[in-house]
Parts: sequence; structure tokens; C-alpha cells
Amino acid sequence: MATVVIMPKQGQSVESCIITLFNKKKGDSVQKGDLLFAYETDKASFEETATVDGTVLDIFFEDGDEVPVLTNVLVIGQSGESAEEFRPGGAAPAPAHIEPEALASATPIAAEKTPVPTPINNGSSNAVSPRAKILAAKEIVETSTLQGSGPKGRVIERDILSAIAERPKMTPLAKAEAKASGNSAQAGSGLAGAITAKDLTSANPVYSSDYEVKPLTNMRKLIAKAMHASLQNSAQLTHHLGADARRILELREKVKKAMENGYPNNITLNDMVGMAVIKALKKFPQVNSHFMGDSMKYFNKIHLALAVDTDRGLMVPVVKNADDLSIQGLSNQFKAIANGCKKGSIDPDLLASDAATFTISNLGNYGVEIFTPVINLPQVAILGVNTIVPRPKDLGNGCYGFVPYIGLSLTYDHRALDGGEATRFVKQIAIEIENLEFEI
Amino acid sequence: MIDLAIIGGGPAGYVAAERAGAKGLTVILFEKKELGGVCLNEGCIPTKTLLYSAKTYDNAVHGDKYGITAENVTFDFGKIMARKNKVVRKLVAGVGSKMKAHHVEVVKGEAVIKGRSQEGVEIVSEGNSYFAKNLLICTGSEAFVPPIPGLKESGDIILTNREILSLNEQPKSLVIIGGGVIGMEFASFFNSFGTKVTVIEMLPEILTGMDTEMSAMLRDMYAKKGIEFYLSSKVTKINGNEVSYEKEGQTFTATGDKILVSVGRRAVTQGFGLENLGVELLKGGIKVDETMRTNVPNVFAAGDVTGFSLLAHTASREGEVVVNNLTGQKDVMRYNAIPGVVYTNPEISGVGLTEEAAKAKNIPYKVAKLPMAYAGRFIAENEGGSGLCKVLVGEKYGEILGVHMLGNPSSEMIYGACMAIEAEMTLKEMQEVVFPHPTVSEIFKETIFAF
Repeated sequence: MATVVIMPKQGQSVESCIITLFNKKKGDSVQKGDLLFAYETDKASFEETATVDGTVLDIFFEDGDEVPVLTNVLVIGQSGESAEEFRPGGAAPAPAHIEPEALASATPIAAEKTPVPTPINNGSSNAVSPRAKILAAKEIVETSTLQGSGPKGRVIERDILSAIAERPKMTPLAKAEAKASGNSAQAGSGLAGAITAKDLTSANPVYSSDYEVKPLTNMRKLIAKAMHASLQNSAQLTHHLGADARRILELREKVKKAMENGYPNNITLNDMVGMAVIKALKKFPQVNSHFMGDSMKYFNKIHLALAVDTDRGLMVPVVKNADDLSIQGLSNQFKAIANGCKKGSIDPDLLASDAATFTISNLGNYGVEIFTPVINLPQVAILGVNTIVPRPKDLGNGCYGFVPYIGLSLTYDHRALDGGEATRFVKQIAIEIENLEFEI
Repeated sequence: MIDLAIIGGGPAGYVAAERAGAKGLTVILFEKKELGGVCLNEGCIPTKTLLYSAKTYDNAVHGDKYGITAENVTFDFGKIMARKNKVVRKLVAGVGSKMKAHHVEVVKGEAVIKGRSQEGVEIVSEGNSYFAKNLLICTGSEAFVPPIPGLKESGDIILTNREILSLNEQPKSLVIIGGGVIGMEFASFFNSFGTKVTVIEMLPEILTGMDTEMSAMLRDMYAKKGIEFYLSSKVTKINGNEVSYEKEGQTFTATGDKILVSVGRRAVTQGFGLENLGVELLKGGIKVDETMRTNVPNVFAAGDVTGFSLLAHTASREGEVVVNNLTGQKDVMRYNAIPGVVYTNPEISGVGLTEEAAKAKNIPYKVAKLPMAYAGRFIAENEGGSGLCKVLVGEKYGEILGVHMLGNPSSEMIYGACMAIEAEMTLKEMQEVVFPHPTVSEIFKETIFAF
């Protein structure tokens, strides 16, 4: 009995996934637990393993194909069994690279119909006769540089003809490329000095062709799009402020000690900052919101996202209903979502930027002292957490000492919040950090 | 004063000498063995001579498919080898007379580069000193013999392309380490005459660099003819006639009267004073730019010594590029239209990008392929035979990027695809070309129209 392996549905919002790599090919034998293929959504990547032993009877897709979820991807069975009835869309021919329609538009026949970039006419000096224009367009001759031999320096057909005779031959591909790009070349590297397509694309004088072009992963594309859109479409600025970190460092020491005695929760400074943020957000509900252009969405609950650095790139998973959690609960949730991202097993729905109401990005571990995090729209603010540095402080009675301070960088969308509100909010986070309390 | 001194009289050196002589340069050519190099003496030509004997024998034995029956067909291994020697002698002499006709001075002896001064590059050979304005290094390549334990101790059981061509007796069994072009051509030859042939290849498929689908088809054909193939197998030890190899963690053995080592070739950059010039090397070969210049002014290199391509026709063209630039004709070496042929029966021929290469380089392409049977002439002349033609074109403009064929006589028609790639012809131009009917070459046209 043949077993069909389908593209799993990863989360409610995912309609299709891209197969990054097949680990098995048709005819390979598989055992339960063998890796069949890796695939990715916009936001995360996953691996599909075999649930039965057998032989791969057929694979309906290739590496890089985008496959709708719940579609049959491959069939495992005993060799000899037919897999054809499982082929998506009936007995359609295997995906091939041959696409006649696509080709038609790629041939020069169609290319000739595309408008030829009109040469820039610098000054009134050279008028071009209609016949010359047609020929120049057909043969890709740059008329603006020609000295016309017609009346008043008008460029006429014979000027084009002599320009054609004088220049090196162009290959058919070079002609098509020149028409499309508008580039021209004076010397060629092809047969007997013919101008080839390569001659029309100017190589960089420093590195020539010594580089590698790699297509972006889907995830990179998404990050690029979201981050660029954020800076393009909002009015963001950042306020920096420090909080006395003595309290949380003390708590951290307590946690460490407690752990030596078997306490199960490794509550980190990041968890404590997270807790402080939740407390501050409760007091500043206008920050726990989405800016929708002509309206604002205010949330009753706090859904707190955490920026996580993974091998595949930046991921920002969310902890739902974070305001319901104790510090122990928050700590566990942060760890769970971070590990989920690193392993690639995170639910994609938790990665959507509109799933969170506020985000924390903590670079303190890396020694960053100040940065300007980028808001994950439509959220209205993001908190950057910096490293702890000793700062001089008036301890009273003219006595100065060094006190550890944790830097807080709040980027906010000035469309949604004003400077005063934002300042009061980040100050509130500092106050919460300085006065944090929890039971161990 | 010598305009151009050339070290090495193979397809790079003698062609460059001929062209330079024809253009009126004063040329001197140093060759320590025989003119023609590996190609003529221990490579292309002798193997093709032998393979033609094999093909003739095959045709006689299997003529019944065409209604021709020959009784008691026999062959004489000695005669086959003797004819090969005659062909080589004739062609080597031909190169010699070409050199004479183009006023090339040929010095038979080892050449050693002494250095470079205002007088030019100094080369010493047979006790004489020569000064040349320009030097072209064409010292070629030699078979790479890997340090397999026990290989040296196995003595004359071990053969390279050189020794196997001077066998006096046909081995009853032959183990071939390395299923590349050289390995497969010898496999084909000895298989035809009934030698038990085993091919051990380290990679997952034979004939790396050719179209993988066609390599696999050819392997199937030869497996049916009785050659045993072991892929993804790494030779670990040789003990006399016995070759041990590892496949998927297990160790196996294969035995042969003789063992052919054909795992690759290595540029010859030592023993002729190259170090006295300070020429830069790259991956074992001499580093050159697209006009075959080395890092030392007036010193050029062409052919296998550059360490890549390793084909006689590449070498000749590289030599020509050097001569053209020396004589005022701007010319650059292009490697995108170098054909590659494996002269098995049937032959595999290819030029330009394979699908594998296009994918690796992220070049957008479209592909069409047709069985050879679409050409009537192929059916007429290949009873029960199969083959394939595959054409790759650029996705945007439809320019020919690669053409690959499995079937006879693809070696004789692949040049048409070379011209199409060199001229950057697109499908539109190709469709207007008239092919002679009936020929196997029509498969190219058919495949063009299959897009």
C-alpha cells in the first residue's frame, strides 16, 4: 500500500511552501525517520521525515518548487506499485522547463516590437531622417554620436550604413541585449572581435566577475521587505535612557544561588527586562497598539515579541498574553519560542509582525551600548536593550561611586506617539527595572 | 633574434609554431620527445585508431542486425597495435613537415629556461643558448598517479594511458580506476575485444562534466555489454592484481591482469627551469589571463600546463590566441564553446553549459531534449540503438547555451553547436539554418523546434 507524503500545513496563514532540498530521489529506499525533504515558508524552515519504510516511487516536484500546502509531494511504497494516481492535478506531465508561451516572448521577434530606447539627443545639432531612424533602431546604432552628412548635419541613412560598416559585428544575442538594455560597446571579444552580450555588460574594473550571486532565501526577502518598509513608511526615532541595574543584578545573583539549590527557572536579565516592559505597558496602553494609518488598534492583552538571532536570520516570535504570565512563565515562554526559532519548528503564525503588540530586541549580551532598533510595523514601538555599563552616580553626601546601568533604546513611531509619551514610557520601564520584585 | 620560443611540441606548441611561422615570425620549437605531444603519441590519435579497430570488429560481429553475417570473425591484437603505431608515425611526420613548411626551427632535446634579461628569455638546449623576445610554455600534463598503498609495489601490472598503449598482449581482465574520458575509452576498447573490464569510480557517476543523464545512459549501455561499474567507490589499496575499494563503508575487491590508473592529469611545471622566471602558478598549473599571458612579461602559457580544460583543441586555440596578440590581432580566449567528446560507441559529445552547470551558476535556462530516433538517418544506421539530444537556451533571449548528444556520429556534428554558441545565435537564427537531409545532425534542428 503506497503512502503519500503531502506538504504539511504550517500554521493557518501559510498557503504554500518552497521545497529547498530533496534528500531522496525517485527509486531511493527510505526508512522510517529518514529525512525526505526540507522546505520553508516565508518565515521559517522545516524538515519532513518518513513515517514508513519503503521505496520512493515518485517525486512530483523539484528543488526550489513552490508547493501549495496539503499537495502530494512524493509517494513511498513497494517498488512496482504505481504512484501515478497520486500525481497532483491528475496525470499532468512532469514539471518541465519547457514553456512555449514564455519562450515566444523571449525570442527576438517579440523583442523587436518593444520600443527602442530613443537615443538622448544632446542639443539641436543632429536631426535624424526617418529612414535613418528606422535603420538605426533595427541595427542598434547610437545616432546621437554620429556626424550627419545630410543638410545641416542631418543624419541620413548612409551615415547609419557607414556606422554599421565601421563598427564590429554584433552577435544576435548582443543585438537583443542592446535593444533591451540600451547599452552599446565599441570593441568586442567574440569571433573576430564581434560584440558579444558580455561586452555590453560592463564588468567591474576592480573585481570583474570574481564574485558569486546567491538568490535570497525567502526569509531574507521577507526581512528585507519588512525592515525597508518600516523605515520608509513610518516616522521613527529613538530615545536612549539608562536604568540603575543594581536591583536586577541582585535578583540575578539570587536566581543563580537558588539554582544551585535546585531552583528550576533560570530567570535571566532579559526575562526581568521583559517583565518590566509588561508592567510599563500596562500603565501606557497607548504603546501597546498598532498604527493603522487612519486609526489605532489598542489591545487589551499584551503580546510580547522577542527578536531572536538564528542561523537562518532574524526571527521575531511572539509570546501570547504575556501579561498573564508570572516571571517564571515568561522566562519559560521566551526560552521555548527562541528554541523553536533556532530549530525551525516555530509555528509561523507566531512570527507575523501583526501578531505582536510590542517587541524587545536585546543586544546587551553582545556588548552593544546604544542602537536604534527598527519597528516591526504595524507595532508602534520597539525596545532595544543594551549592555550594562558602570556609570558614576551621586550616592549622596558628596560621595560619588560607579553604579551599573542598563541602557534602554526605545524606537517609536512618531505618527502614533509623541516624544513626551515615549519618554515617560521608557522612563517607566526604567522605574520598573529599578523596582522589580518577584518571589523565587 | 628569435621572435617566439616555444617549449613543447604538442597541440598548443606546434599549432602556435605553425601560425606564428605563417605570419612571418622567427620561431623555435623545443620538443624533448616526439612532435605532437601526448595527443598524437599517447592520447587522442592512438586511442581513436584503436577504437576504430574495435568498432570495425563490433560491426563485423553484430552485422546480423543489418542482415550481414560474417563467420569466424577474428582479430589480431598485435596488428591492431601495429596499425596504431603506423598512424602515429605518419601524423608525427606530418607535423614535422608542417614545421618545415612554416620555417619553424625544431630543436629535438630538453629545453631549460635560464632566465630573463634585456636580451630576452634565455633557453638552453643540447648545450646551445637561445635568446627569444617571447616565450610560450606548452609543457602539457602527465597522468596523475595517486599515492594508493601498494600501487608502486604492483610494478608493471599498473598502467597509465602511456603504458597501456604499448601493450603487446591483450589482458584477459582489466581494472580501471577512474571512469573519466580516458578510463571509459579504454574500457570501451578492451570490452569490444572480450577483456573483462571493471571500472571503479569515486564519484556517483562516470564521465563527470558531461551531461549526467547521458553519462548514466552510456553506463547502462556498457553495463549490458558486460562492463562492471562500481560508483561512489574509493580505491584504498592495491595488492598485485587485486584492487581494494570502499563503497558505503564496506570494502570490496576487484582483480585484473592489468590495472589502468586514469584518475586525472597534472600540469608539468617542473624540470625545465620555470622557477628561474618566477612564473605564478594556480592550482598546480601556470596562471594565465584571458590572452594567455603569465605574470612575467613576454612569457605565455597554453595547453594542459595551465591546469584546466586539458583538451587538445583548447590547447591549439590558446596557442593561436598568443600568436594573434603577438602579431597585432587582438584576440581573447573564450571557454564557453569548447566541445568535449567521449569516443565510446556510441559517442557522447557536448559543448557549452550542462544543466548541472547552469543550475550551479544560477543561469536561467530552458531545456529541450529529443531521442536520437527523431533523426531518420539515426534509425537507419543504429539498429536497436538509442541516444539523446539536449539543447539548453537562455531563458530571456533563447541564445544557445549548451548542446549535448549521445549517439554516433555526434563527435562530427557537435562543431555546429560550437559555432552557434560562439556566434551567440538564438533560437530564431537557428531555426533558419538548413541542415542536410537525411543526416543525424538534423536532431539538432528538431530539438531547436521542440522549444
